[in-house]
Amino acid sequence: MDEVGKKKSRFGRYLLWFILICVAVIQIFPLIWLVNFSIASSNEMFTSGLLIIPKKIQLGNYYKAFVDGHFLLYLKNSALINGFAVILVLIISIMAAFACRKMFWKLSGFVKIVLLLGMMIPIHATLLPNYKIYHVIGLTDTIWALLIPYVAFSLPQGLFLMSGFIESIPVELEEAAVMDGCGIYRIVFRIITPMLKPSIATVAIMTFLNNWNEFMMASTYLSTPKWKTLPFSILEFTGQYSSNYAVQFAVMALTAAPAVIVYVLLNKHITKGVALGAVKG
Amino acid sequence: MKKLYSNKLVILSLVLPGLLVFIFAILAPICLSIFYGFTNYSGMGKFDYIGLSNYKNLIKDKVFWTSLRNSLFLAIGFICIQHPLAIIVAAVLDKLQGKAEGVFRCIYFIPNVISVAVIAYLWKFIYNPDFGLLNNILKLFGQHEKINWFSPKYAIWSVLIVLIWHGFGWGMLIYYTGIKNIDPVLYEAAVIDGADKKAVFFRITLPLMKPVIQVNVTMAIISALKQMETVYLLTGGGPGNSTQFAANYLYQQAFKAFKYGYGNAIGVVYIVICLVVTVSLNRIFSDRQLSKG
Repeated sequence: MDEVGKKKSRFGRYLLWFILICVAVIQIFPLIWLVNFSIASSNEMFTSGLLIIPKKIQLGNYYKAFVDGHFLLYLKNSALINGFAVILVLIISIMAAFACRKMFWKLSGFVKIVLLLGMMIPIHATLLPNYKIYHVIGLTDTIWALLIPYVAFSLPQGLFLMSGFIESIPVELEEAAVMDGCGIYRIVFRIITPMLKPSIATVAIMTFLNNWNEFMMASTYLSTPKWKTLPFSILEFTGQYSSNYAVQFAVMALTAAPAVIVYVLLNKHITKGVALGAVKG
Repeated sequence: MKKLYSNKLVILSLVLPGLLVFIFAILAPICLSIFYGFTNYSGMGKFDYIGLSNYKNLIKDKVFWTSLRNSLFLAIGFICIQHPLAIIVAAVLDKLQGKAEGVFRCIYFIPNVISVAVIAYLWKFIYNPDFGLLNNILKLFGQHEKINWFSPKYAIWSVLIVLIWHGFGWGMLIYYTGIKNIDPVLYEAAVIDGADKKAVFFRITLPLMKPVIQVNVTMAIISALKQMETVYLLTGGGPGNSTQFAANYLYQQAFKAFKYGYGNAIGVVYIVICLVVTVSLNRIFSDRQLSKG
């Protein structure tokens, strides 16, 4: 009896591993394939095997991708725009959440619902009118053309998460601060904000993930390379090197690399942040 | 304290930045869309007010209905293929203890952090009939015919597969978190009562996951409705509008067909559809109300 049970559980254990490994292979293999082809030369690609062993590792592909793809410029733009977007979303959402949840005014519920509406509006429906607006007031090709919509569409989620956390902070704390003569701004930024650390991390991660890979707005509102973001190097490349597939693979690998590296390094925090954000939001 | 906390000026200063962003980036564009929706504006030059005729054309527009049907197809695809898989993998992963658990979770989520631009181009190559990965894999199984994955027959399925692959980690992670939140005492009690693994999964895990499943299903439907970037880069809505989606269609109408007014009319209807769907889903799953947040 015991022997059979053991055998059965061992079989179950193998099945478990089999399922997990299968899914892992499906999820990761296309990326391995991508890296593999990116170090080969274009002629070698027409094989019937799954992976190729290149005669010579073609690092030149990466050199071309790095230089002609304007990698550094676009990486800098992406980092700057996303950094600013995260900071703005955090500040605005903390302020609004505090005002809506803790302070006494008649319209607090209404304003909160209005701000949360942004969660339901499809981003892409605003592409056409925003293009017109930015064109008229001269915002196209400036950082604002991306910063404003990125903040606007990440704000509802930020506000939603922040209000949940802010509500759970005990009033006594604020009462004590008021006794000591703190003004509202000091309460918000000196007392409440430091207590929000976990939710700040969550909101920052969600905002960053949402906007880092955004592409449609960037391609609509920008025409000069000055503020173009990372996803663009691929688009420019496919035009420029339309027949040189290997270099296209290199530019894809290079573009994906920063996000993947950061994710693998901070994997635990990001997973936790996303889980928290998604379940609550 | 009460006085300090009811200072209208302070309140205004706190919510004003948020309101300004909302007005400038969401409200104003929607109003402008409504305005242009009533015109025959081409994108440049003069235009006339043409009343409701854009909307009348829209009702008769077959492509628009195709795009909605495609969204429905995606939503069903997510719910019937991606989500059952995600729940099963999450449940299996939960059984695994130790370091491997974290490693698998990390691997599953990696496609999610990669830009849609990379994903779309990568899959274009994977589907490539000449040297693409997919046809090469099929060759291993004795299928030597070169399949064109972007033919009208397969194109929408090809799009679905990319989206399922890309979003799998996200869905899995949320189910995984939901499973982790289930009180282990319940499992112990079930085992003492003599329940086997199957019974535990169907009688305890699944019912307790109901709220998480509802959240995930809502998100799946909405993301199917909001689909644009992958299709824009992968197929451009083609061949012959067979993979068309509302957002992509309005974009094409405005910037490629130079029917900016018509594009905006589609935008207005599209926003209304998204609002109605989101609100009704929240009503149906009423334990998850936005206003309560």
